[in-house]
Amino acid sequence: MELANIEKIVAFIGALVVFSFAIIGLRGEWRKTGLDDQVTKVLLGLMAFGCILVVLACFGILPHTAAGGPA
Amino acid sequence: MAVSVAPGHGVGHDDHDGGHDDILYRETRDMRLMGFVLFLGADVVLFSSYIFAYIYLRNSIPSWPPPGPDGHALPRLDTAFAAFNSIVLFGSGVTMHWALEHWKHGNKARYNLFMWLTIFLGIGFLGGQAYEYAHAAIGGWSGNTFGASFFTLTGMHGLHVAVGVGFLFALWLQTTRGVYTKERFFGLTAGTLYWHFVDVIWVVLFFLFYLW
Repeated sequence: MELANIEKIVAFIGALVVFSFAIIGLRGEWRKTGLDDQVTKVLLGLMAFGCILVVLACFGILPHTAAGGPA
Repeated sequence: MAVSVAPGHGVGHDDHDGGHDDILYRETRDMRLMGFVLFLGADVVLFSSYIFAYIYLRNSIPSWPPPGPDGHALPRLDTAFAAFNSIVLFGSGVTMHWALEHWKHGNKARYNLFMWLTIFLGIGFLGGQAYEYAHAAIGGWSGNTFGASFFTLTGMHGLHVAVGVGFLFALWLQTTRGVYTKERFFGLTAGTLYWHFVDVIWVVLFFLFYLW
């Protein structure tokens, strides 16, 4: 198996794990109202979005990732 | 320590559960937090100016990546490795979040575990970035606009990560020396916000350089 494919598989599994824990963390913060809690909500949400980008990159769904791996 | 207490802040209650230091902590925490959030906002402005400069450069050239010195188009960056390295950094954001949560709940053993995981993952990300710098065939910093943009923005981000690793290590040292308690842990809150911020900046850079 090519190194790029191994990297994609590890990144995909990691993205699922990190996304899950980010959402769990976000749910825990949801009812809190302090400034630090509000900022944390935004940042955890964006991090979860980052995990979605990684998954899209792993599957080559975005335009420039279709070929995947090193150019 | 002389502390002025504004009317209506419950002096009696504060004296009852901790004295002047607790009053000072409670009265200044929100101000310090606001100051730290403003600092992060200033950093957003810094990154934004570089990011918009990159977007401008990219849109002002017909083909991207631009041609190298030999006239051929430069190769795209390694998306698979970047995805892997991104998850290393995002994972460190989650471990930092849980380190803070365990500290709030008084579980120091798990706090230590997650804090060290965060530090190791941060160092791992920097190692991955160094590897990518060594292998990216995009012509170095001064060869073309793509290389200049890539190395400037990711280098500035990497510098933030390196500072963050040092910040987290300093926080861990402070916790071992009893600087923070279960109730008073502003430094850990600031460290967590900073680390999340560094993660989120990478989300933008990952999209701009590898997926767009």
